[in-house]
Amino acid sequence: MSDIFFLILRRMRVPLILLISVYAIATLGMTLIPGVTPDGEPWHMSFFHAFYFVSFMGTTIGFGEIPYEFTDTQRAWVLVCIYTSVISWLYGIGNLLRLVQDDTFRNAVAERAFRLNIKRIDLPFYIICGYGETGQLITRGLVELNIQTIIIDHDPERTSSLELENLTLAPIVLNADITEAQNLITAGLNHEKCRGVIAVTENDHTNLKIAVASKLVNPGVPVICRSEIQDEADNMASFGTDAIINPYLTFGRRLSLLTQNPALYRIQNWFINQHSAEHIHQRVTQSGLPSGKWIICGYGRFGKAVEHFIRNDVNDIVVVEADPEGKNAPDTAVIGRGTEAKTLREAGIEDASVIVAASDDDANNLSILITAQQLNKEIYTIGRVSSEANHMLFVRARCDYIMRRSQVVANETLTVISRPLVTRFIQYSSSLTRTATEELIKDICLLTDNEAPVTWRLVIDEKQAPALVRLLRNDGSLTVGDVCSNKSLHREASIPLLLLRGGMSHLLPDSEAPLFENDELLLCGRRGRQLLAQKLIYNNELVDTMINNNRHHIPLLRWLHRRKSS
Amino acid sequence: MNLEKVVFAFFIILAVSLNFGFYTGDLSDPSHHHPYELFAALVVSLICTVMKFGDRTQFGSTVLASSLVVDLLLIAAAVIWGVATQSGQPVSPETMASITSLAGGALIANLLSVILLIIETSQVRK
Repeated sequence: MSDIFFLILRRMRVPLILLISVYAIATLGMTLIPGVTPDGEPWHMSFFHAFYFVSFMGTTIGFGEIPYEFTDTQRAWVLVCIYTSVISWLYGIGNLLRLVQDDTFRNAVAERAFRLNIKRIDLPFYIICGYGETGQLITRGLVELNIQTIIIDHDPERTSSLELENLTLAPIVLNADITEAQNLITAGLNHEKCRGVIAVTENDHTNLKIAVASKLVNPGVPVICRSEIQDEADNMASFGTDAIINPYLTFGRRLSLLTQNPALYRIQNWFINQHSAEHIHQRVTQSGLPSGKWIICGYGRFGKAVEHFIRNDVNDIVVVEADPEGKNAPDTAVIGRGTEAKTLREAGIEDASVIVAASDDDANNLSILITAQQLNKEIYTIGRVSSEANHMLFVRARCDYIMRRSQVVANETLTVISRPLVTRFIQYSSSLTRTATEELIKDICLLTDNEAPVTWRLVIDEKQAPALVRLLRNDGSLTVGDVCSNKSLHREASIPLLLLRGGMSHLLPDSEAPLFENDELLLCGRRGRQLLAQKLIYNNELVDTMINNNRHHIPLLRWLHRRKSS
Repeated sequence: MNLEKVVFAFFIILAVSLNFGFYTGDLSDPSHHHPYELFAALVVSLICTVMKFGDRTQFGSTVLASSLVVDLLLIAAAVIWGVATQSGQPVSPETMASITSLAGGALIANLLSVILLIIETSQVRK
């Protein structure tokens, strides 16, 4: 408030002084110039009358010549006063209008509005740095989770689209340079409700700067960074960035999983991509990618990541690259872009099983995919799309698996934020054998009728599960099976995925395993239905009935039994 | 030398001088206190107030506050004068005394402005 007020006052100094002077001189003149009463007596205007007259004259209202008719000398003076006062008014008002349109003034108003918004926040919030495609997806995901977002981006054009998005929890936008630490503090880095900083700008170095600044200003706030260059990622990790997401490595890992253990991929896909589904063909999810001969067109960061991850799973890899020396491609690389049939034939497209269009040019990638499909009808196609607008074209080109950088980062970020146990589960689940995974997927499909399940985290503490804690404190015993399934409520049953106790993770806990206070349990169950565990956490009576086997039909007897046991 | 500072100091000292000029003399004798002097003191004090607008230093705000006090007291004095003489009769000694004492109060606030100005000036190091 005070900033804007002082700015106005400062700018209005000259016009105000001018107005005061003009009024003072006009009033003084009116009192000094002699008039004549109707009786012909000489008369001087008093200050009161003079000020009254000048006031209505200056604003051009004009009540006439009072209290007596003026002499010609007085009229001449009034003539001078009318013009000077009107001009000084115009000058003053013009100045005020110019001030309102002034950039400094507008910035001051916008910044004040922003500060007020930050001060009023009463929901936990995340600061999102960079509102590109990734930022957009993350914002939408967080709003779905009822988490407030604060967006910092230097470009007002990008953030102005937010006004049209009509999100239920409107993000608070600050158009400022993210690399200045002061702006992070303005955005509420030190606010008690700040849950984390998400740095997802296009530029790795900018993300690094944000991470450093946040960790120095408020080390307690988690930082999630997008990074595509290994050096910068190592640098980020060196000072404790909480999560570093590299879309190429993440995607490469998924490709490797799809060739090795497609069932595990399917499970991970369910749990990670809950916010926006990836475009992946049915035949890939069902039976995975073949491990025959792979052709990778383009050996940039993405191509390298893919090659690194599938190297051990695949029989043969052929790299196609226009500039093999500059990109450090293997000696066996075929020179060319891969958009022409000749190059692809040279790479052996006829007996290849998978082609990855990994260049950073969408048009080239489309051309590679279409040419490859013409030369080999059976080939699996994987395309990288850089611009969100071209995604539709890749779908039309019948691309089997589309890699959208922004989506990979956004889904990963949202999983890290909202489902920390899922991240752990995915980390540990790579140790599952193929048969164990298939067993698990069969169980899940049986439970959900072949639909994608939802995950839920059960935390057994006083705040989040009072009924269960009460049971445990009354010497009752609780097992994983108790909270997951019950004979009479089979549609609300869930499958335990991970048990976290004292920082130790237990993958797929046994249903006989006991639960204690402060345990965390990751469950998955049918979508759109309240799980048994969700019902149990607050409902003492249900806990008593389901777990303590207090099964009297008459409520009074049930109540008496409960009183006796506790 | 800063022209803005010169103009500001000029108006502050002018305000205190005019105020003193009006105040001096017998408290209740209308012939010792001229209305034009009160008018000049009021206008100069208003200009002083506007000149200190937008200064966010501690000194600036104290000077602004004291000059607002001056405005308030002088406007009150002028209003009393205007009301007392509305039907053309001369000012009574009682009214004159209250007008002059209000101006005396304004003089104190004006002196405070000058003292603050001197302190601020003495703090400036080469």
